[in-house]
Amino acid sequence: MIRNPTPTVWAIIVVLAIAAALAPMWLGPYGVKFATRIISLGILVLSLDLLIGVTGLVSFGHAAFYGLGAYAVWFVSPKDDSADLLKALALAIGLAGGAAAIIGAFAVRTRGFYFIMVTLAASQMLYALFHDTRIAGGSDGASIAVKPDLVIAGVTLIDFYNRNSIYWFGLAALALCYLLTLWLAQTPFGRALQGVRQNETRMSALGFETYWFKLTVFVIAGAMAGLGGLVFACIDGFVPPEALGWKQSGLAIMMVVLGGTGTLHGPIFGAIIYAMLEEALKSSGIVGATIADHWAIPMGLVLIAVVLGAPKGVAGLLPRRAAQKLTPSTDEPRIVATTQRLSVENVGRRFGGLVAVDGVTLSFEPNKVHAVIGPNGAGKTTFTNLLSGALPVSAGRIALDDEDITALSAAAKARRGIGRSFQRTNVFGDFTVGENCAVAAQARRPGVLRFGADRLREAEAVGFALDATGLRERAQIRAGDLSHGEQRQLEIAMLIASGAKILILDEPLAGTGPEETRRVMDLLRALTLDHTIIIIEHDMDAVFSAADTISVLVGGRLIARGAPDDIRRDAAVREAYLGNFGMERAP
Amino acid sequence: MELALIQIFNGVQYGLLIFLAASGLTLVFGILGVINLAHGSFYMLGAYLALTLTSLTGDIFLATLLGAPIAVAFGAAIEFLFVRHLYKRDHLQQVLLTFALILIFNETQRILWGSYPHSVPAPSYLSGSISLTGALSYPVYRLALTGICLALAMAMMFVITRTKIGALIRAGESNREMVELLGFDSRWLYRLVFASGTALAAAAGMLAAPVESVYPGVGERVLIISFVVVVIGGIGSIRGAFLGALAIGIADALGKVFLPGFASMMIYALMAAVLAIRPGGLFGRAA
Amino acid sequence: MSALLEATNIHAGYGAIQILWGVDFRVGERETVGLLGRNGMGKTTLLRTLVGLIDAGPGHIRFAGNDVTHASTAARARAGVALVPEGRGIFPNLSVMENLTLAARAGANGLAEWTVERAFDLFPRLAERRRNWGDQLSGGEQQMLSIARALMTNPRLLMLDEATEGLAPLVRDEIWATLRKVAQAGVSIVVVDKNLDDLFGLADRAVVLVKGEVVFDGAAQALRADEASVHRWLGV
Repeated sequence: MIRNPTPTVWAIIVVLAIAAALAPMWLGPYGVKFATRIISLGILVLSLDLLIGVTGLVSFGHAAFYGLGAYAVWFVSPKDDSADLLKALALAIGLAGGAAAIIGAFAVRTRGFYFIMVTLAASQMLYALFHDTRIAGGSDGASIAVKPDLVIAGVTLIDFYNRNSIYWFGLAALALCYLLTLWLAQTPFGRALQGVRQNETRMSALGFETYWFKLTVFVIAGAMAGLGGLVFACIDGFVPPEALGWKQSGLAIMMVVLGGTGTLHGPIFGAIIYAMLEEALKSSGIVGATIADHWAIPMGLVLIAVVLGAPKGVAGLLPRRAAQKLTPSTDEPRIVATTQRLSVENVGRRFGGLVAVDGVTLSFEPNKVHAVIGPNGAGKTTFTNLLSGALPVSAGRIALDDEDITALSAAAKARRGIGRSFQRTNVFGDFTVGENCAVAAQARRPGVLRFGADRLREAEAVGFALDATGLRERAQIRAGDLSHGEQRQLEIAMLIASGAKILILDEPLAGTGPEETRRVMDLLRALTLDHTIIIIEHDMDAVFSAADTISVLVGGRLIARGAPDDIRRDAAVREAYLGNFGMERAP
Repeated sequence: MELALIQIFNGVQYGLLIFLAASGLTLVFGILGVINLAHGSFYMLGAYLALTLTSLTGDIFLATLLGAPIAVAFGAAIEFLFVRHLYKRDHLQQVLLTFALILIFNETQRILWGSYPHSVPAPSYLSGSISLTGALSYPVYRLALTGICLALAMAMMFVITRTKIGALIRAGESNREMVELLGFDSRWLYRLVFASGTALAAAAGMLAAPVESVYPGVGERVLIISFVVVVIGGIGSIRGAFLGALAIGIADALGKVFLPGFASMMIYALMAAVLAIRPGGLFGRAA
Repeated sequence: MSALLEATNIHAGYGAIQILWGVDFRVGERETVGLLGRNGMGKTTLLRTLVGLIDAGPGHIRFAGNDVTHASTAARARAGVALVPEGRGIFPNLSVMENLTLAARAGANGLAEWTVERAFDLFPRLAERRRNWGDQLSGGEQQMLSIARALMTNPRLLMLDEATEGLAPLVRDEIWATLRKVAQAGVSIVVVDKNLDDLFGLADRAVVLVKGEVVFDGAAQALRADEASVHRWLGV
């Protein structure tokens, strides 16, 4: 998860910022313009990192919003003889943000390759609009007659005819945007975005409406890019349609990756390094005339080397901050609570002609460990999907105590305390253990615009989950660095943090060693104090030693149900596991 | 009306050219899983090969025959040097590396051929126009080009649907692991597919040289259009690319005449419409 | 019996999840081995390691006298290792005929060569379906095609993961009968299946995996006779 930079990085940023603020004192006119261009690109790439590095949305059309912001200045300026900066700001941000809302509404429905292509096509559409028609100078570009200024009560506060004003304005805007994104990334909203990047399916399963999260950040990033475009337009008072074309978008992606995705400061370094490198490679005084004439070749080679050799970019070379301290421990005694009774009656599920689950009737008594076993293809996973609401039933009834919950969605069932883990380990590898639990706790109220700190109740839920699963000491470790067994424990902790009282666990022991198996089973036994556990598991030793009841599914039907000893003696179960072994010899 | 007819002819011809380029792109993405932004550069390579080889041999078709193996070798080399490192990388890194390749290719083009546009002559025996109906006439080379592209498209469909190598390509698209289990080295399969895609794009660039002028950015428009075609047709689908390319070609040609200024926007609108109805494209698996 | 395949000290898994913990596994010339174990005990992982889809860790794998530990999957297939994977791996967009001819590889293994005709003799049903697409076949037909296709590579070792899972009893019998014919033709076989009596009817030797370790390696009939162990390792 994105955190505040380490002191070293802060020091670099502050020194850079101070140097930048003082730079006009020794930079000539060309230098100031050059630096202003880097700043406008810095805002562009920072906003792009919100999409790529934070949310995992690789937009190949982000320059469209940058270009729209730039054209906004043109739209504002010819009307009045003095163009108002506030109007220009409002239009740049509004136009870019509005376009991002429309494009994003389509684009964020898609993923991967299609997202790249849809954003590319959308930006090319806008490029065609400005290039092929005469809207704002057409292919010649838009020349801005009057640069905006800010006049309040007759006093000119900012005048963009002064080169340094644009520069300082841009620098302040960049600094503000950086602090804003840094804060945003650490709010519950930002945490959810990073959850989407790591595993969108899991976020949906937790109950987050990922569409709205993605759309919101797409609009924020678009509006921010529009601000960068405004700065760009004021440098030369000229906007070419190429400013919103795909090559500009591609360059922005380059800078983000060169600097390091998902770090926020990295892409800004990337913009600086890219621009300086380009400038250096272009100047024959530094590299000689031959290279300067063909600077694009060494530039391309450098970028390829970065992709293949240092995919984490420049920021990857700098130290990163470890996880921060977590909420204090809850020392209060644990409340022993009985959970509700989950029961199913004649539940069935077919897929076309295939009957995966066929007329199962079962009741799961509270505060016990219930195992569901059966050979491959017995319908166990489908059965858990029915219980959790991930799949609707084709027939039958599911009840929680006396309440009929058959028709409820997975999210609604989750709110009633029915939580499930997945066969494949599904924790967020880049989050710490604590952050994993926090995002699960956040899922109790997965509203979009949650920018405040975690609520007290959520912090308590996280603490409770960590204590209940014995992960308190590991709270600050990256989940991706945990052992496999601990990751399975963390999944259980996440379920608890999300408020689940009935835990449905799909193969919690798959791939765990003997030592870890014992630990997980001990944990499950202990959890029955205030939870009901339903596990699907192949490890028979574990199941028979720890389960209170065992239900055996074969071919979608329940063939046996009972205490472990009864199941061991059951003839039908024996056949299910040993096939026709001994059948020919039996009478 | 006659104008519309001419433009439909032009649209079909342009669509078939785009199909050649887009089919390579869709194969490479469908089988190798790589987003290749440098695909347009292969079209450009073709255009400039046509320029040089036509001036050497005096005939565009001879030039195309000579240029095809050069393009295959070039594609195989690019796959070996760069692209094969991308198979296990994410889209972001693929986009980036192939974008960097564009920088290098464009500059290399400038070094070798300069920045000025050139034209490539159509062969003398195919110059002139034939009259279709009364006032309507159409350049012979364009007609020949349409025929050749159609023949190439059919030959490619034949290879893919009827030959063992085609079966292997289809198999590689659906289950790479199983292909390996049957004893085929998928590294060579991938190199072959990439080189073929390169050759298809280059062939389009070569054949188009006499009707378009040859200029530095010639591949980039083709790249973007090809991507639109791939998305419309469905990733990996040759049939889809064929229909998508024809639709785009005709829409573009008609749009240029009847909605000047909005022709390219129409193409993207067409793509948006297709995606809204079928998110996986015409023949794609659901996205 | 000289060893055709010899794997020693296999440690393998998926990413951070280790499944196999030091497995030794050998198959002799013309030998048929039943690989047993409950779900999740490492049978599939072992087969995938043997064909080179998963790294063998510190282990070594020899096939037909050559060290193939670091050989690619394709190279092992060409050397004569064939796998009929779980899920069968039929190419859905290829016809039955194409699925077979694509796999055809002239064998240099000293055994009579497998041809499409011979495959159709083995599974007459496939001959009827030769023009159908792979995804138009029933589960049983897919399994027949997958076995026939593996034979078309003229393997010396044929390995089947869940040979008869999900198939109707009559189809199962047909598969077992076919495997007996294949074994008689001189091909070594490794079978994973849960129908123990069928398996014991075919296999010379049995290997039992429990939690990624070999707990039994010996004559199939010896395991069959030891009902208590069968129940402990494979039952409930």
